[in-house]
Amino acid sequence: MTTTTEPVDPFVHPAFFYAGAREYLAGTVPFVRAALTAGEPVAVAVPGENLRLIKDELGADGATVRFLDMREAGRNPGRIIPGVLRAFADAQQPGRRVHIIGEPVWADRSPAEYPACAQHEALINAAFQGRAVTILCPYDTARLDERALADAHATHPVVIAEGSGTERPSAAYDPDTVVSRYNEPLPSAPGAGPGVLRLSFDEDSLSAVRHLATDHGARLGLTGLGLENLALITAELTTNSVVHGGGTGTLTVWPEDGYVLCEVRDEGRLADPLAGRRPATRDQRGGRGLLLVNLVADLVRTHTGPQGTTIRAYLPR
Amino acid sequence: MNAAEPARPRPAVVPGPKPAAPRLDVSPLAGRSGFRAAGEVSLRTRGIWERALERAVREGEDVYYLELSALTFVDVAGAGALAAAAGGLGGHRRLVLDRPPHALPRILDLLWPGLPGIEVRAS
Repeated sequence: MTTTTEPVDPFVHPAFFYAGAREYLAGTVPFVRAALTAGEPVAVAVPGENLRLIKDELGADGATVRFLDMREAGRNPGRIIPGVLRAFADAQQPGRRVHIIGEPVWADRSPAEYPACAQHEALINAAFQGRAVTILCPYDTARLDERALADAHATHPVVIAEGSGTERPSAAYDPDTVVSRYNEPLPSAPGAGPGVLRLSFDEDSLSAVRHLATDHGARLGLTGLGLENLALITAELTTNSVVHGGGTGTLTVWPEDGYVLCEVRDEGRLADPLAGRRPATRDQRGGRGLLLVNLVADLVRTHTGPQGTTIRAYLPR
Repeated sequence: MNAAEPARPRPAVVPGPKPAAPRLDVSPLAGRSGFRAAGEVSLRTRGIWERALERAVREGEDVYYLELSALTFVDVAGAGALAAAAGGLGGHRRLVLDRPPHALPRILDLLWPGLPGIEVRAS
């Protein structure tokens, strides 16, 4: 897994296919140990059960490894780049390669979550272009469906086939197509009915709409931080519509399964697929609204095109 | 000073009384350098907030108090204006946020981690 010469793009992003704990450890622990031997920083952000496997295997050697449960830190795929990967990579001293194991796709990701996962994996390539960073992404061939495994070949420039231990270029690598394919229309928000708040807004009504949204969120069972997050999400999405999205939009808030969903639709087009996924630099003034939405929501789904943009945020009830 | 605008028809499809336009009232503190802000910081009131912060930076005091207990909401751009003001202080100068709304220090921590020049006093 270690390279002695830097490739043209120093960013390295392999998908590693495994089945079972033995293969998982055989593909991940040597990756961690090689980084530690080189004195280079390493983080492991994988689902809790796999985190325990790696931690147990490393024992005391893992003392300097940053461990994160991806089910928590990366619950919303849209915050993994800014909140997990860049947060770790950017905090390291320059001049040393940064190593991360990032496992954002697991078998019980919901149908609503999966498209955001695939887009996230595709966008990592643009987000880390030119950086001396290696991100190894494990994929569980025993439990993931065919689509997820095929997508991994399109979102990773190199792949490590199950049991092979060796990297080869992925012939199917095509991340832009994955971003486009999962830029799919969202299932329609309910138009009316009990529990549904649907409002059009413009600059004059931003404040009133935020208050109505939070009042509604409280009726749907949000409290404390959940309500605070709904107020922030509503404010940022509706203000974006007023400032960048044609001046007006429609807000819908409704309950679905264990979540309160907050959706804003406008006639603007979101041109930058990395919007809300880049950590802002300290001197940058604007452009952090979508980043905040990604950091506080459990899931953010987006559809953008010539007809407009829809952004839907999920808050746990 | 406030951002109250003449009432205008609102196209929202929600029934019910038309809420007042958002306000932000800024007044100087008695006995210490700083201001008290009451109302909300959002798109309509952002200019008032930014001008008040620019004055704070210009005044050159080492410690400048922002009494924010009557502030009901601050959006990300409002937090950004605060971060920019703190960044413009330099040296050992600082802004003290006195009883800010809960979300404000949270937004600063999430989006401007490790920002120097801001001290939060919760009580």
